Amino acid sequence: MSKQEEIRAALEAAFTPRALDVINESHQHAGHAGHDGTGESHYRVRIAADVFKGMSRVARHRAVHEALGKDLVGRIHALALEITD
Amino acid sequence: MSVKDSIRDTVTSNNVVLYMKGTKDMPQCGFSSRVAGVLNFMGVDFVDVNVLADEQIRQGIKDYSDWPTIPQLYVKGEFVGGSDIITEMTLSGELDQLFDDKGVAYSKEAADKIREANG
Repeated sequence: MSKQEEIRAALEAAFTPRALDVINESHQHAGHAGHDGTGESHYRVRIAADVFKGMSRVARHRAVHEALGKDLVGRIHALALEITD
Repeated sequence: MSVKDSIRDTVTSNNVVLYMKGTKDMPQCGFSSRVAGVLNFMGVDFVDVNVLADEQIRQGIKDYSDWPTIPQLYVKGEFVGGSDIITEMTLSGELDQLFDDKGVAYSKEAADKIREANG
């Protein structure tokens, strides 16, 4: 499974989102720090789910980090999050 | 002093602290650069801590806030967020509100300029 698929699977399982985009932006960072040449280093996630209602920004991010797990988060150099309820 | 105590000391004895890769004058990562750039542009007096200069702090700050990434912004000892959150809060005006509430000086005019340029 690619990291993109891993991210998607983990987030779908945790939040049953109304909308979910997992975008691999690694190619935009070629030559920059953290670009490890695998093409799987930089991701952007756009997620909308009811469960985020009433949660602070920090709490929303923490919930996503937790759903992905330390291992997967540790294997990604950068994860941009756009979270809405 | 343990790493945790040293971090607590830094974030509570300074009004605004940014843990970042590189320094405010020479950031070494796009995400750190973005947050330092916002604070610089808004004229906020802040302390920068270069995590690349100290491996213990680099890991320690992630444990301290239970947050896996750098940069991390602290205002009056409180963890505010990383680059996505600071960007969102800058554009929504929430960062101005936070600085107002916490008594941190900044240029409202500069903040408005950022919003105009990204509106």
